[in-house]
Amino acid sequence: MGFRSWISVALQLTMATALLVGCSQPTATPDSASSSGTNGVTLKMVESITSPQRTALLKEMLAQFEAKNPGIKVDLISPPFEGADQKITQMLMAKEELDVLEVREFNAKQFSMNGFIENLKPYTDKWQNYDQLTDVAKRRATWVDKTPYYIPNGLYQRVLYYRTDWFKEAGIEVPKTWDELLVAAKKLTDPAKNRYGYSFRGGATGWDYALITMWAYNGTEVDPDSAFFMKDGRTLFSTPQSLEAMQYYKQLYKEASPKDSVSWGFQEMVQGFVAGSTAMLIQDPDVIDGAKEKMQEGTWATAPIPIGPSGVAQQVVGGPGWGMASYSKHKEEAWKLIEFLSDPEQSTHFAKKTSTIPVVKSAAEDEFYKSGYFQPFIEMSQQPTKFLDVSRPVDYKGWGAWQSTADKDIQSFLLDQLTAEDLLKKWDQYWTKEKDERK
Amino acid sequence: MDTQKPIVMTTKQVVPEGKKSFQISKEGRFIFLCLLPALLFVSVFTYYPLVRGIIMSFQNYTLFDLMNIQFIGLDNFVNVLTSPDFPRVAMNSFYWVFFSLVFQLLFGFMLALLMRKKFRGRGIYQAFVFFPWAMSGFLIGLIWRWMFNAQFGVINDLLLKTGLIDAPISFLADGAWAMAAVIIANIWYGVAFFAIMILAALQSIPEELYEAAAMDGAGRIQQFWRVTLPYIMPTMLVTILLRVIWILNFPDIIYAMTNGAPAGSTHIFATYMIDKVIFGQDYGQASAVGVIIVLILMLFTIFYVKATKVEKGGDF
Repeated sequence: MGFRSWISVALQLTMATALLVGCSQPTATPDSASSSGTNGVTLKMVESITSPQRTALLKEMLAQFEAKNPGIKVDLISPPFEGADQKITQMLMAKEELDVLEVREFNAKQFSMNGFIENLKPYTDKWQNYDQLTDVAKRRATWVDKTPYYIPNGLYQRVLYYRTDWFKEAGIEVPKTWDELLVAAKKLTDPAKNRYGYSFRGGATGWDYALITMWAYNGTEVDPDSAFFMKDGRTLFSTPQSLEAMQYYKQLYKEASPKDSVSWGFQEMVQGFVAGSTAMLIQDPDVIDGAKEKMQEGTWATAPIPIGPSGVAQQVVGGPGWGMASYSKHKEEAWKLIEFLSDPEQSTHFAKKTSTIPVVKSAAEDEFYKSGYFQPFIEMSQQPTKFLDVSRPVDYKGWGAWQSTADKDIQSFLLDQLTAEDLLKKWDQYWTKEKDERK
Repeated sequence: MDTQKPIVMTTKQVVPEGKKSFQISKEGRFIFLCLLPALLFVSVFTYYPLVRGIIMSFQNYTLFDLMNIQFIGLDNFVNVLTSPDFPRVAMNSFYWVFFSLVFQLLFGFMLALLMRKKFRGRGIYQAFVFFPWAMSGFLIGLIWRWMFNAQFGVINDLLLKTGLIDAPISFLADGAWAMAAVIIANIWYGVAFFAIMILAALQSIPEELYEAAAMDGAGRIQQFWRVTLPYIMPTMLVTILLRVIWILNFPDIIYAMTNGAPAGSTHIFATYMIDKVIFGQDYGQASAVGVIIVLILMLFTIFYVKATKVEKGGDF
């Protein structure tokens, strides 16, 4: 084959492949700067739960850190929230320059197992503020192999948001149990007025709400360290209580929630509540700011999440935090930064501004948290035997595959394409197999 | 020697017998150097990810254990192809491409014909028509997601106010409605591209052709069939090919609107692949889906090119 033919083949291949692979949208890539500042060290830091306000707040705090530590500069990378964790994972996989990163409770195990993040024990042993962390924050920090791999920067704990004006109008009390919640929700449902009792989450990661219900029905028999299993070793999905919980869950959807909510995600469920379409919502504290902005003072309030027939309520308290890349070339400086951001004063300031639950004990004495919308969070954290923090089995090989089908299964169940028995049987078999393979 | 044929010196004639044919002439070297940056660019940004993806599709590449990546043969393909989701994903992909394409072409054609005529405010009208194409697909998905919402959506609101329905329709809570909804959003998005391409082709038709056709007694309809259509056909064929490839590879709208919900009834190959990565954390299986997409498109392209002689675009 002559040179022209080679050129022709190369060109055709290029065109054909480019055509077939198609044009992808350019993804936003953070600016990268040099790794060493003009005088000293430049740290690379990446956040995960990105929002414009949060990024501005972090930059403000980083400026303070830089002022306190001349010679250390910090480059903050803020990938868009959608896909930020994938971006961070890719950075770690490619060993891209990185010193401090935001670790989430669901990827901490994966990061530590793959040797991406540093064991912080040598640092926390010498850190005087480590004992300032609340019990839940410490549990989050050390939930992988009982070893601190990151320092939480705020807790995402769910409470019940409810419309005080609707409740008053209907003459009903705020529900304390799931049964009471269903009764109240049904009473407040009036499709003719486009009013529904409950902001149901059937869309992305809606399975988490089904789990909350199942845990509340199974109570303290659930293994808190791996809450898809009971303390006796059976799966959570094998118990009659779980079947009862799922039947309840469907009733809540069918009788007291908008039909549309089978595909509702975070945005819709919150919008449903703040726009006056739903009476109750179970969500994280970051909803408070939006509700304050869009709803009249005195028309809504927060309360602890309902407890189940077992007398307890469990949830996975989300706790993202600052970790260190294992291959960082500036570990001492990286720890300095983590230490600064985790200082009780800075940490509480960050939690207040980001509408999360603070991770330090001293915040409980803060007036900001002692009253108003945040009060139920503190109330719940002061009753650790009633409001339990549990962990999902994200350290199992099959976690990802289960997660990718769980929403579909729940939606099929809600739309009567799958029975509660079949759904639970499927999950029971899956997790039994997972457990057996682990032995 | 056939005197009708032009005399062209081929490289074979230039290179004497016995000499190696792989001799690069000055001109060839120049062409090669000119092509080199583009080839390098395409190698890095197209071939490398493609090859990497193909390799990954034969590996147990999951985020769960990156330290233990091994070749597992065709396991990922077997898992994907035997998955109970696969038939539905394949059917949805077909509906997604077919209906999007047909209606985009139809409306795009109509709009192009309308915009071809000069009228007051044509510029503004054209801007409105082309506007969706300038937007991000994901953003369009989010907008339509809210528009289709049963509680606060403008579509239900309009249908209720016009008395066409008595109660809101939960478009995104029903599999068939949800699939129709994502296709409608995609049609709205893609009409502009067809309109642009066809309008460009229409504007390149010499006016003399119509005059000649009119002198030969052709009416408006005959002019359309005998002049307009043959002239723009090559453009349309190429545009259709491009759109098939792009639509099949376009997860943005579905990802933002339904993310495959309800109960997986709106997943197409591209969103299914994303789902495997984001929730399943399984890059191996996701890559297998990616390879399947490329194979489908390759087969389609070969068949399409052979059937339509699209490579002769420009001749008619």
